[in-house]
Amino acid sequence: MHRLAPADRPLALLILALAVIALLVLVGPVLIVLLTSFTTSQALRFPPPGLTLRWYAELFDPVRSAQIHKAAGNSLLVAFCTAVLSTAMATGAALAIARSRAGWARLAEGAFLAPLVLPGIAFGLAALMFFSWLRQPPSFALLVMGHAMIAAPFALRTVGASAAGLDPALLESSASLGASPWRTFRRVVLPLIMPGVASGGFLAFISSLDNVPVSLFLSSAETDMLPIRLWGMMETSLDVRVAAASGVLVAVAFLLLLLMDRAVGLVRRMAG
Amino acid sequence: MARPLQNSAHMLDRTDTPAALAPAAPAGHRLDMDGIRVRYGQATAVDGVTLSVEPGEILALLGPSGCGKTTLLRTVAGFIRPEAGRVLVDGAPIGHLPPGKRGVGIVFQSYALFPHMSAAENVAYGLEARGRPKAEVIRRVEAALAAVRMEGFAARRPRALSGGQQQRVALARALAIEPAILLLDEPFAALDRALRLDLQLEIKRIQRRFGVTAVLVTHDQDEAMSMADRMAVMRGGRVEQVDAPATVYDSPATPFVAGFVGTSNRLHGRVEAREGADYRVRLDVGASVILASPRGFAVGERVLLCARPEHLALRDATAETPESWPARLRISLPLGPALVHDVEAGATELKLHEARHGQPPAPGPVRVALLPTARPALFPAGDDA
Ligand SMILES: Nc1ncnc2c1ncn2[C@@H]1O[C@H](COP(=O)(O)OP(=O)(O)O)[C@@H](O)[C@H]1O
Ligand SMILES: [Mg+2]
Repeated sequence: MHRLAPADRPLALLILALAVIALLVLVGPVLIVLLTSFTTSQALRFPPPGLTLRWYAELFDPVRSAQIHKAAGNSLLVAFCTAVLSTAMATGAALAIARSRAGWARLAEGAFLAPLVLPGIAFGLAALMFFSWLRQPPSFALLVMGHAMIAAPFALRTVGASAAGLDPALLESSASLGASPWRTFRRVVLPLIMPGVASGGFLAFISSLDNVPVSLFLSSAETDMLPIRLWGMMETSLDVRVAAASGVLVAVAFLLLLLMDRAVGLVRRMAG
Repeated sequence: MARPLQNSAHMLDRTDTPAALAPAAPAGHRLDMDGIRVRYGQATAVDGVTLSVEPGEILALLGPSGCGKTTLLRTVAGFIRPEAGRVLVDGAPIGHLPPGKRGVGIVFQSYALFPHMSAAENVAYGLEARGRPKAEVIRRVEAALAAVRMEGFAARRPRALSGGQQQRVALARALAIEPAILLLDEPFAALDRALRLDLQLEIKRIQRRFGVTAVLVTHDQDEAMSMADRMAVMRGGRVEQVDAPATVYDSPATPFVAGFVGTSNRLHGRVEAREGADYRVRLDVGASVILASPRGFAVGERVLLCARPEHLALRDATAETPESWPARLRISLPLGPALVHDVEAGATELKLHEARHGQPPAPGPVRVALLPTARPALFPAGDDA
């Protein structure tokens, strides 16, 4: 570490203050939800008058929480399919973009990243109108497609970073040694961009799991999604199981993140 | 993979054929480049190159950076489709074949080893891609690694190998598929100078044993000199001369070749007279010399003389002769048994190379003479560029 010049000190203090505020805003609510999920009261309330595991027991009760379980199952399945679909699309796009220096490649990259800035609500509404114009009733496939659109940019970022580091001479080597393009992809390209693919899949999975706006428009009774169900429960009764479910989600996401970081250094990849 | 030690130093698959016991290299394949032109957008990178590489020989493509060597090599390898011209192996055009079906092995400047595979897996890659039986793959990988003396490093990843070792593995990988033609793109550029000579000899030895026809791209004239049977000197996408290294040095075809291969002292002058088969040339530095030349010159024509450092000698400042001219010695550097003189004659700077006898002479006025035995190259002055 080198010393800051005196003139830089106010700036450093400002950055520190912003960091502390960001941390409070991010971590504070999570802590509040976690604490609330252990409350002894009958409804969502903070601070909790006492602590109990009762709501977790109720959340995992197969009979009383059957609908939550069904929604959670749907959400996990959609998230899994979204992760696979969006990572596959993003991998293809990232490889093509990395290999091409042409202007269209930059354009295509921009188009792929556009959903990042597109408000989810607007996209969800547009997708619903578009699909009904095509006379397509809401279905599992359409829901996955909608989620994949939103999730693909995350995967494109991480796979793109991996693909950009791929030495083109490796591909030429492989071709020159007699490998087919498919063999080259399987034996050389995929193993080398695997860290990017895995982190992209993880991010897509998480982004699908807690997506509300697209699910709001594209899910139906059969494809009831967990965040929508939790929202509904919040509206009708301040059911504490919502907090418990949030606690479970936070814990699962955190564990997955630790696992992924172990495996591929996700945090470093996102920073780069 | 279990990999028993193998004592035999014979090559690859040829161990079990009687021919492999003979020291003579197997007959190689012939490579022809015929009128090849490659353009990137508006810029012509290779401008009508016609070259032949004889079976089993090493041809060096020598030239400054950006003259189109790599582009030409990549055209032969099949990564670039030329705008015009053909590539032929043993007389058969291969332009329509993809890189993997051309029988061409390539060693990249960066080696381009697969970083997630061991040395053995790298070498096995081409054989597996060709669907060779597993037993044969194992046998050939062992033989190829043994040929480059890397059998002890089979399980290592490229990251755990030195630059020279990586290069050997890259060479083994290219040779394992038994290519008709071996292409080497500046294979020593990333290595220490000290390591280069060893590896140059080694690659030449291996190339000879495999009897593989090779094209070596380099911008290093010493490398081309030491490794190549013949060299093609390139400039701006064209070939200026193709000859044995010694011929290129002794009889450069153009002033550019004279300057690029070896050191060249450029002296301008005018043809004064014909004297039998020779020319009397009046040099602008103030001397009159008699020169032989295979080229024809008219009396009165402006000419450019390219003299090697060893073609010139220092004389005493007082020893005035018509074949010598006045100059000033700036410095003499003893280089082991030799002396390098840095001399200026008017605006012309000269480098001289002489055997050393005793102490180097002191700086000051001298005369420079063209040795009577020297055969410097003579060009029309218009060739100077
Ligand atoms: N992919 C490319 N696109 C455009 N121009 C290129 C490309 N590759 C090489 N060139 C140009 O073609 C010329 C020859 O390049 P190259 O064959 O790499 O030369 P060398 O190997 O002799 O250094 C250079 O002027 C270079 O800038
Ligand atoms: Mg080059």
